[in-house]
Amino acid sequence: MRVIAFLFFVMACISCEKEIDIAVSNVEQQYVVEASINQQFPTMNYVFITKTIDYFKPEFSLNGLTDAKVAITEGSIVGNDTLYNGTVFPFNTVSDSLLPGIYVNPLFEGKLNTPYQLNIELKDGSKISGNTYIGKPPLIDSLVYWSTITSKDTACFFWMQWQDGPEQNNYRMAVYNGFDSILLGWGAAQRFYTFDDQLINNTKRPFRSFRPYAYGDTISIYLSSIGRKELQFWQSFGTAVNNNGPFASPVAVKSNIKGAMGSFTGYAIEHKKFIIK
Amino acid sequence: MPLSCYFKFTIVQCLILIIGTTNILAQTKYEISGYVKDFSNGESLIGATVRIVGTQKAVQTNTYGYFSISTNNINDSIVVSYIGYQSAYLAAVFSTNKKLSIELKPFSISTDEIVIKGQKSNNQITSTNMSMVEIDAEKLKSLPVILGEQDVLKAITLLPGIKSGGEAGTGFYVRGGGPDQNLILMDEAVVYNPSHLFGFLSVFNSDAVKNIEIIKGGMPANYGGRLSSILNVSMREGNNKKFQSSGGVGLIASRFTVEGPLKKGKSSFLLSGRRTYIDVLAKPFIPSSLSGTGYYFYDLNVKTNIQLDEKNKLFFSGYFGRDILNFKSPRNKDVFFNFGWGNSTATLRWNHLFNQKLFLNTSLIYNRYDLFNDFTFGNNGFNVRSGVEDINLKMDFNYYTHSKHAFKFGYNYTFHQFQPGILSGSIGTTNLNQQVNTQYAHEFAAFISDEWKLSQRFSMNIGIRAVAFDLVGPYTKNLYDNDTGLPSNQSIQYKTGESIAFYPALEPRASATYLLNESSSLKASFTQTYQFLHLATTSGAQFPVDLWVPSSEKVKPQLAYQYAIGYYRNFLNDELEASIETYYKPMYNQIEFKPGAQLFFNQNLENEMIFGNGLSYGIEFLLRKPSGRLNGWIGYTWSRSTRQFDQLNQGQSYFYRYDRTHDMSLTMSYQINKKWTANFVFVFGTGNAVTLPSGRYAYRFGYNQTENKPEFVFVDVYDKINAYRLPAYHRADLSFTYIRKKTEKWESSWNFSIYNLYNRANPYFIYFYPDIEIGQVKAYMVYLFPILPSVQWNFKF
Repeated sequence: MRVIAFLFFVMACISCEKEIDIAVSNVEQQYVVEASINQQFPTMNYVFITKTIDYFKPEFSLNGLTDAKVAITEGSIVGNDTLYNGTVFPFNTVSDSLLPGIYVNPLFEGKLNTPYQLNIELKDGSKISGNTYIGKPPLIDSLVYWSTITSKDTACFFWMQWQDGPEQNNYRMAVYNGFDSILLGWGAAQRFYTFDDQLINNTKRPFRSFRPYAYGDTISIYLSSIGRKELQFWQSFGTAVNNNGPFASPVAVKSNIKGAMGSFTGYAIEHKKFIIK
Repeated sequence: MPLSCYFKFTIVQCLILIIGTTNILAQTKYEISGYVKDFSNGESLIGATVRIVGTQKAVQTNTYGYFSISTNNINDSIVVSYIGYQSAYLAAVFSTNKKLSIELKPFSISTDEIVIKGQKSNNQITSTNMSMVEIDAEKLKSLPVILGEQDVLKAITLLPGIKSGGEAGTGFYVRGGGPDQNLILMDEAVVYNPSHLFGFLSVFNSDAVKNIEIIKGGMPANYGGRLSSILNVSMREGNNKKFQSSGGVGLIASRFTVEGPLKKGKSSFLLSGRRTYIDVLAKPFIPSSLSGTGYYFYDLNVKTNIQLDEKNKLFFSGYFGRDILNFKSPRNKDVFFNFGWGNSTATLRWNHLFNQKLFLNTSLIYNRYDLFNDFTFGNNGFNVRSGVEDINLKMDFNYYTHSKHAFKFGYNYTFHQFQPGILSGSIGTTNLNQQVNTQYAHEFAAFISDEWKLSQRFSMNIGIRAVAFDLVGPYTKNLYDNDTGLPSNQSIQYKTGESIAFYPALEPRASATYLLNESSSLKASFTQTYQFLHLATTSGAQFPVDLWVPSSEKVKPQLAYQYAIGYYRNFLNDELEASIETYYKPMYNQIEFKPGAQLFFNQNLENEMIFGNGLSYGIEFLLRKPSGRLNGWIGYTWSRSTRQFDQLNQGQSYFYRYDRTHDMSLTMSYQINKKWTANFVFVFGTGNAVTLPSGRYAYRFGYNQTENKPEFVFVDVYDKINAYRLPAYHRADLSFTYIRKKTEKWESSWNFSIYNLYNRANPYFIYFYPDIEIGQVKAYMVYLFPILPSVQWNFKF
C-alpha cells in the first residue's frame, strides 16, 4: 500500500514548468510616483519618481527620474474647504547613484491633522499632483511576545492591541526585523499589512503575529493611520504584487495622484520597538 | 397594459388554447401509455422511443419513464427502443386503451457471440430537440480519465460547444458562456458548486448517476434561470428486483453502493457513498510537524421510491457532500485552520397520473451550499460562514392530446436566501460579531410549451416562460459614497416581504424541424433567457469561496438571446448520426469585477461590479456512432466569444478568457472480445486567451542598510485584456477495461488507463520572473499532468 501511495504522490506531484519564449508588445511609458510623509521620522519623508519600462527590458534598477522639480505644500482646513497655502517644502534628489529618483528634504516635518499637497514638474513639462492628510496616530496600549518550542527550534510571536475609535479608520502597518536606525523608504520592511475597521470598529483592535520570530530579533512595528484612497491604493498594490497562479487576474493598481500612477500617502505613525529575549 | 397583467393575459390565453385545441382535435380511439423500464433492475428509462411501426409517429419517455401515444388503426403495432437494450415489439395491442409496463432487456456480452447493439433510431432527425445531448451514465464509465476517477463534468466537455476550464477544473463553458451560466441540477435540485478537490473532481458519484442531459441551446420552456445551459443529472432509483452492492477502488477514492427492493417490483432504495483517502495516503509522507494537516472529501447519495398505487408514485432523493481542509501550523501548535464547503440537497417528488393523457410531477426541493472557515489560535478564534439556500416548489404537467399537440406546462417558485458572510468569535478581549446583510428573494416562473406536428414533415416546439424575480426585505441597505466607497452612515430599512427590486420578464422559446427525407432534417431554434443570480468571482473560474449574489437595483438581470440553425443527417441506416449547427448568442448585463476588487466580506460588493455585454457565435460538427462494437463520436467546434465593458480594455471588445477558436474531440470505444474493451480519447483546443503584462515599474522603495542597496518590488502594468494565447492544448488518453468475472452473483472488472499518452506538456498558466542576478526577465509555463497511468477495480455482487 505504501508503495502505491508513494507512486501516486510521485506522479501527482510532478507538475512541471518549462521556460518558454513569448513576445509581448510594448506600450507607451507612464510616470509613476511613490510619495510618503509622516509626523515622526524625517528620513521616511521622500518622493520617488520613476517610469514604466517594457516588460522584457533587462533593466532592474529603480529607473528613477532625477531632473524633476518636487515640492510638498502644507495646507489647512477651513470649514469644509482644504487650502494648500502654507509652507512650501522643496524636495531634492539624493546625491547617491544607488538611489536615482529619490527626493528628500531633511527639514520637512509632518504635522498631525494636517493636509499636504504634492506638486511635481517634470523636464518635459508634465505636471503631477496629489493630496494627502496626516491624521491621528493609533495608540498601541499593550504589546506582549511569547515563544513556543517546536520540534526544530523556538518560535516567537507577538500580540498587541489599540483602541479603534468610532470614526472610520484605515491602517497600514510595516514590521521590520533587524534594524531601523536610519530608515529610508518602507521597502526594507519584511511584512506589510493594510486593513480598515470594517470588521472591528470602535473597540479594542487586536493584532497577532502568525509568522514566527527568533530569539534576539529586534522587532520594529510601525502602525499608521492613513486616508481612505491611500488604503485603496495599498490594498490594490498588495493584490498586484501577490498576484500569481493559474487563476490570477490582472490587477489595475489604484491611484490617488493626478498625472501619473502611484500614491501620495500621509502616515500618522505609532512606533514600537522591542528585542525578543 | 402593465407587464404583470400581460403575463396573466398570456397564460390564460395559452390555457384556453390547450383546452380548445384538445376539444377540436382529440379524435383518438386507441390510447396506449405506460412506463418503460430496465428489465434487470426496474429502473425507468429516460428518453426511450415508443414508435407506431411503419409510421413517423413516435414519442419519448419523460424523466420518469412515462409515455402516452395513440393510433386510429386497430392493427398497429408499436416498437419500444433504447440504446443498449433489445427492442420490444407489441403487435396489435390496441383492442382497447392500454396501460403498460414495458421492460427492456439490456444487451449482454455474456453470449457466445459478441453483440453490442443499440436500436437504430432517427430521433435526432425527427425530434424538435436541438443543441441537446443525452448520455447514459454507463457510457461514461469506460472513458479513460485521470487517475481512474470517472467524472460526469469532465466527460461532457468532450461534446462540441462545451469547453473545459482546464485539467484541474470541473468548470465548463457552454457556447461562450461563463461557468455560472450553467444550471446544474441533481434530481432537480440546484448544485451551486459542483466541485470536489478544488475543481479536480465533480460532486457526481458515477455509481449513483443514471442519466445526463445537457441542453446548450434551444432550451425548452420548462427550463430557465441560466443563460447558457442546463445540465440535468438524474440519479438512479435503485434495483427494485433484487438486493445488489457495487463499488470501486481507485487510486484516490473509493465508492460503495447498496440498493434493493423495499417491495419487490414496486419500490426500491439506493444508498451510495464515496470518500477520498488522499489524507490517509499522504499521512506517511507528511512530516510530524504538520500532523493534523490534511484534506479529504466525501459524499453520500440516497434515493428511494415508493409506488403508492397505479397512479401515484413518490420519490425521495438526497445528496450531502463536504470537502474539508485542515491545517495545523508546524511552527505554532496553537494555530489551527479548518476550511470546508459542500452542497446539501433534498428532493421530494410525487408523480400523479390523472389519466392516460395527463401526467403531473410535483417537486419540493431544498438545496444549500455552505462555506465555513474556522480559525483557532490558543484560546481565541473566529469563524466565517457563508452560503446560499433555496426552497423550491414546482409542478410540471405533461398533457398528451394524442392529436398533433403535446403540451407541457407548469410553474416553479423558489425562495432564495443569500448569506454573504457571518463572522463570529473573539480575539483577546474583542468579541467579533459581524455579518454582511443577508438577502432574500422570490423567483417565479410559469411556462407552457406545445410540441406541435404541423405536417408529416414539419413540426415545432413553441413555448413561453414568464419569469419574475423579487428581491425582498427584511434588509438594511447601507448607503455608500460612490467616490470613496465609504459608508455614508445612512441606510434604508426594508420590512419583511417589502420589494427592493422587481424584475418581470417573458422568455419566448421556439424550435422547428423540417424533415427533408427519412434520414435528414433542418432545424432552427430561438431561446431567450434571463439570469437573476450571479457568481462573484474575479478569476473567471469557480471556487469554493466565490459568492452567489442576487439581482438588485444596481445589478440588472443577465439576458441572452440564442439563435441556432442545424442540419441533421443519418447514414448507414441510422447507424451513424451527423449534425452541423451554427449559433449566434448576444448576452447583455454581463458582470465583471473591477480589477483588484475586494470580494471577501465586502458590505458594498455592488460597488465593485461593472457591467457590459458579451457575444458568442460558432459552428459545431458532430459525427456519432452511438452503438455497435465500435462506437463513439468526433466533434469539432469553431467559435468566437467576446466581452465588452466600457471600463475595461479602453472600452474595446476583447476575447473571453475561455474563447477557443478550434476545439476538437474524438472518443472511441471498441469491444475487442468478451473480456476486453478499449477506449480512446483525443482532444485538441486552441490555447486560452490570457492577459500578459506589457510593462513594469519599481515601487515600494526602501534602503537595505545591511546590504547597502535599494529594495523594491516590480509591479506589472497591463495594456490589453486577453490579447495573448496560451499554447494549444492537446492530449490522447487510452484505457482498457478487463472483465475478470461476470456471473449472476458476482462481477469484477479492472480499468487500466493512461492519461496523456504522449506526455504532452499542456499549459496550465504562464508566469514571469525578473532574474536580477543574470539581468533577464524569463517566462515559464507551468503544466500539470505528464503521462499518468492508473488502475481501478470495480465490483458488483
